[in-house]
Amino acid sequence: MTSQIFVLGLSWRTAPVAVRETVAFPAADVSAALADVRGHPDIAEVLILSTCNRVEICGATPRGAGDGADARALSAVRAFLARSRGVGPGLLAEHLYEHRGASAIRHVLRVASSLDSMVIGEPQILGQLKEAYRVAAGAGATGPVLGRCMDRAFSVAKRVRTETGISRGAANVSSVAVELARHVFGDLRGKSVLLVGAGKMSALAARHLRADGAGRIVVTNRSAERARSLAAQIEADAAPWDDLFALVAAADVVISSTGAANPILSRKLIKRAIKTRRQRPLIIVDIAVPRDVEPAAGNLDGVYVFDIDDLQRLVAENLKEREREADQAERIITAEVAAIESAIAAERAVPTIRALRARFVDVARAEAQKAAHHIAGAASVEARAEAVHKLADRIAKKLLHAPMRALSGASAHDPEDLAVAVKALFDLSAEAEAEADGGDDPESGQSGAPPKADPESEPEPENQPAADPEAAPGDPVQPNPRKASSA
Amino acid sequence: MTANDMVHSVPPSPALYVSLALYAAATVLYLVALMRRPADGASRGQTWLDRLPRLCLLAAFIAQGVEISLRGIAGVHPGSSVREALGFLAWLTVLGFLIAGLRYRLRALGALLAPAAFTITAAAWLSPPGKELSGLSLLGRIHISLATLGAAIFALATALAGIYLMEEHNLKRKRFDRVLFRRGAALETMDKLSHRLVLVGFPIFTVAMVLGFVWLSERGEQLLSVRTGMATVAWLVFLILIVARTATGWRGRRAAWLTVGGFAATAVVFLIYLLRPMLG
Repeated sequence: MTSQIFVLGLSWRTAPVAVRETVAFPAADVSAALADVRGHPDIAEVLILSTCNRVEICGATPRGAGDGADARALSAVRAFLARSRGVGPGLLAEHLYEHRGASAIRHVLRVASSLDSMVIGEPQILGQLKEAYRVAAGAGATGPVLGRCMDRAFSVAKRVRTETGISRGAANVSSVAVELARHVFGDLRGKSVLLVGAGKMSALAARHLRADGAGRIVVTNRSAERARSLAAQIEADAAPWDDLFALVAAADVVISSTGAANPILSRKLIKRAIKTRRQRPLIIVDIAVPRDVEPAAGNLDGVYVFDIDDLQRLVAENLKEREREADQAERIITAEVAAIESAIAAERAVPTIRALRARFVDVARAEAQKAAHHIAGAASVEARAEAVHKLADRIAKKLLHAPMRALSGASAHDPEDLAVAVKALFDLSAEAEAEADGGDDPESGQSGAPPKADPESEPEPENQPAADPEAAPGDPVQPNPRKASSA
Repeated sequence: MTANDMVHSVPPSPALYVSLALYAAATVLYLVALMRRPADGASRGQTWLDRLPRLCLLAAFIAQGVEISLRGIAGVHPGSSVREALGFLAWLTVLGFLIAGLRYRLRALGALLAPAAFTITAAAWLSPPGKELSGLSLLGRIHISLATLGAAIFALATALAGIYLMEEHNLKRKRFDRVLFRRGAALETMDKLSHRLVLVGFPIFTVAMVLGFVWLSERGEQLLSVRTGMATVAWLVFLILIVARTATGWRGRRAAWLTVGGFAATAVVFLIYLLRPMLG
């Protein structure tokens, strides 16, 4: 049995916050948890992802683990979760989901690409997964299987982000101001932002604008002290409340969120401001309820006023668009899952392929060395040809020795399974097999001439020893080194 | 042989039909591209599907260029009649768009321009050749060429202004679900680009107007007519636009409407030239 990827976890889809918060791993607990899980004999690699929306333990069974290793590993992880988080197994069972093999790979890819997130396309989860992998790798808990899977997951996530629109458009009210400003200005570089009111939301929005390149940010508030404290928090300038008009005239984006009962930014004030600013467009995002901006101001030329309802409507529209884009992302992931599976399988086959190649080369070289003086000392051209022929036969015989024994039932493997594998590995046709079944002596290849009964089994010298690893599940043809060396 | 006879004697080459077909195809492709959800935001990962409309338009442009050259070789100057000039105008407009497209992402403009190029080229081809321009002087040719070039640049500016107005309307009305809201360029980008085009087109158009008046007086024709009146109106509108923008920072919706108005007046002048032979 080769190693298998598995995932066990719960997320916002399956568990309420009350459960998620109990199961979540504080950062300090992760290393110990990794070591604990990895202590189980059926778990070779492990990673713990714990965010506010999901807790997942992703792992891989060791290579060569017996049948059912993944099932045992999963129940071990289940038991570990119940034990370490102090949650009853019954309660956990209600909320946990598990994936194995291809389904686990798909799950990891979907999580990394933010298709399984509460807000589709949100960028944080990828960073969180990268961090989880970094921690696990740092603790020595990961290996080639998870490594390959995570590497691919990260690059697929990037691809999904750039090739589909799942992260396009603001997904929350605080970043919507950025999107609206982009519609008007295209580029926020050098644009100035005015925060009217020192609320949390406007601070968040200002952060988004700054991250997008906005220039100067000014905070003004009825209480100068609060303006100063918010300004200090977000590296902005504080300005006196009395300068409101001049501040509006100088700004490109105004974000208003005061608790005032009546509009603070009247149509008249804005109209005057527009004149002073030589008609430059002005975006006013009014997050306050009751509203801070007189609604009629929206009719002014070059003034774009958006209230909280508009913002929410735009966010809803964007999320709908993201959902539509998710279909395309799923297609990318489906293609990628297949590619990762075969890459992991190929990686697993590497040691076998290496051993096989080394064995073939060793045998051929050893025989060639033994035959060298016969060939060199041959008296005639015919004698030399004869010597070369003999060498070829000896190599073939040596190489065939172990497989023949195994095929005739002298090994622990089922000869019929082996026969199927050999046929797949050496591309033997059906009729060759029928004839070969007619009592061919494995040793008959000795005679010097190619055995007539089985002409196609003559190995072609150019053949790559590395057969398609997927064609033969498991590795039944792996030579037994002890037997071979004694031959 | 007079210039007019030549216009008659040079039939359109296959290149014209090819260019018309390609303009039609580009129209469809631009509309499809506009409706389709594109893979990315700014300029990341353009697929061949994203480039196809532009390539098609480029091919149409080349085909029409071939047609114009062939006629030039046969002695039919692009400025020899309004009929020729119209095809040339479409061609210049497309050229301007292709150049602007190197720097700006203007899919919506393409969706407007490709059908416009098709319509103008087809109209020029279908319209009867005029009789009034026989014995065209060099002055007349330069006048027609410059007027055409100026109008082509104004056409681009106007197309941008039109898209600006639609997008601005969507933003004001908060129509967040419209294709133009999702796909359009930023308002300021279009506003600036449109204005730059007006700034480039205006001096060319001015020289063309002056030459036109000189030419008219040379031929002893009436200086005051609907034609010259409309041309003057167009010129004044653009002048007001430029002055107001420079002096008071006028921009946005009002500037866009003025651009559209100025171009409408310009278009009327061309229409009069085009229709006159038909009306006799």
